[in-house]
Amino acid sequence: MADLVIRKLGKTYFDLYAGRHVTAVADVSLEIHTGEFVSIVGASGCGKTTLLNMVAGFIPPSEGEILLGDRQVKGPGPDRGVVFQGFALFPWKSVLDNVAFGLKMRGVPRAERLRIAEEYVALVGLAGAESRYPTELSGGMQQRVGVARALANSPELLLMDEPFASVDAQTRMTLQEELTRIWEAKHPTILFVTHDVDEAVFLSDRVIVLTRSPGTVRAEVPIPLPRPRSWGRLVEDGRFKALVARVLALVRDSDPPTNPAGGQERSG
Amino acid sequence: MEAVAARPSLPPPWHLRAIGSAVRWLDGSPGLKSFGPFVPILLLWAGVAQAGIFPRIFFPGPWDVVLSFANLITKGILPEYLEDSLLRLALGAGAGVATGIPLGLLVGLSRIGHRCLWPVIVFFQAVGDIAWLPILLIWFGFGLATMTFVIVYTVLFPVVFNTALGVRSIPLEFTRAAQSLGARPWRILLEVVVPGALPNIITGLRNGLGYGWRALIAAEMIVGTSGVGFLMFDARRAGQVTEVLLGMIVLGILWYVVDGWILVPLEQATVERWGVVARRDVP
Ligand SMILES: Nc1ncnc2c1ncn2[C@@H]1O[C@H](COP(=O)(O)OP(=O)(O)O)[C@@H](O)[C@H]1O
Ligand SMILES: [Mg+2]
Repeated sequence: MADLVIRKLGKTYFDLYAGRHVTAVADVSLEIHTGEFVSIVGASGCGKTTLLNMVAGFIPPSEGEILLGDRQVKGPGPDRGVVFQGFALFPWKSVLDNVAFGLKMRGVPRAERLRIAEEYVALVGLAGAESRYPTELSGGMQQRVGVARALANSPELLLMDEPFASVDAQTRMTLQEELTRIWEAKHPTILFVTHDVDEAVFLSDRVIVLTRSPGTVRAEVPIPLPRPRSWGRLVEDGRFKALVARVLALVRDSDPPTNPAGGQERSG
Repeated sequence: MEAVAARPSLPPPWHLRAIGSAVRWLDGSPGLKSFGPFVPILLLWAGVAQAGIFPRIFFPGPWDVVLSFANLITKGILPEYLEDSLLRLALGAGAGVATGIPLGLLVGLSRIGHRCLWPVIVFFQAVGDIAWLPILLIWFGFGLATMTFVIVYTVLFPVVFNTALGVRSIPLEFTRAAQSLGARPWRILLEVVVPGALPNIITGLRNGLGYGWRALIAAEMIVGTSGVGFLMFDARRAGQVTEVLLGMIVLGILWYVVDGWILVPLEQATVERWGVVARRDVP
């Protein structure tokens, strides 16, 4: 296990349609410690996915560096597990084979990897569904498989990009509670991206608020709420409400001042 | 008919039960189920032949074709020719698929592969299979080599096009998920790209086999010394209209067999089971 250190990270895209450069992320520096649950919140389009994709190694940064322990992030790798908003489960593999995929790629013998996969399928509450195919499952169940698949590979860091945004509100709350339960049991290091302030405060030890385009760190808010957490306990909790209100104010305040020239976006 | 057979109070008379079970049996077997829609065509055909509008020699009825079928079977000609045709198809299709899938993967995956190969593929596809016959006859003469070439050629393009299309339609997130789970490029190819492109590969296979089958018959007519295409052309020369018709019917039926025995089971075992394409209503 290792800390994640991000230094002066920036990303500038070339927008083919507009024919100009767009800075999506600028000068982001942050640290995430081993075993910590950190969320990044910000309005849609503020560069959250871009930031996470750089940490995952899917896209190269334009500026700055990302370190996991003493290694520089150069590309995707099994040390960083990813849970996708669209699940990205392999439809041609059963639940069990999806969860065992990472272990298979890393050469874990079959009996062993199936045993581990079964354990993680059970951890996310899907025992009995091992032989089903992803398309036979509801969205909520599919994302449980997504979480199990990433965790079964024992990554040093778990990256989650709005993982519960495409399930219904009831299921989302259940999944959030289950994620805190899993985190409390296993303490994986998690970097969680969302635009949902309630979700970020509910789940995290610390919430990082991004400004709007280009995304930079506006504020960090520690969340000292006791664990285990559940919606039943927190929904009426005064401290929870106060934290949500504070983060929400920071997110909303981060709208850029109206600038007709739009000069801010040309900084890259 | 199910309702009749299922009524508990009074057992239905034997003939109703017989009809009921016959219908259920017909309904249960996919081969005979697809036969149903042909009954009106057969009746029309028999009616026109019976009316004697055209001379029997030029327009034989279904029964004449059945007799000719029996005749050619007992003489052993039809089984032999069928075997020849199917063997050529299998050989050509096998070679076409074996080269088409890797080519399609290359074109779909690699930008350089796409840039170098695509114009060539489009050019040769436009030339068309039968257009090769004159030069092939000069090079290889009348024989298996020429016919195999034509089939490979015909099967190849649909397989290449569809495989490349399938590769390109795989969501980026699948590849990313595999990479961040530790898959190396070679494993991604086998575990993600090939199964992800499989629905399209099967479509390519179906089109390729369909075109290949037609190309084979055409090639047999022109260069063949055996096979179903040759049988039909030879019968025409001898004025045996019945055998020409028989050949046509055999061609149609064989396609059902290839589709039902090879392609449909392949789809059921893979893409339909995974739920990436809609299931067929036929069991
Ligand atoms: N591949 C790309 N090419 C050009 N612009 C992009 C690309 N990806 C994202 N952007 C732009 O970067 C900004 C941030 O996008 P994104 O990281 O997806 O934000 P978020 O996840 O917070 O909604 C947006 O303005 C978006 O239009
Ligand atoms: Mg996003």
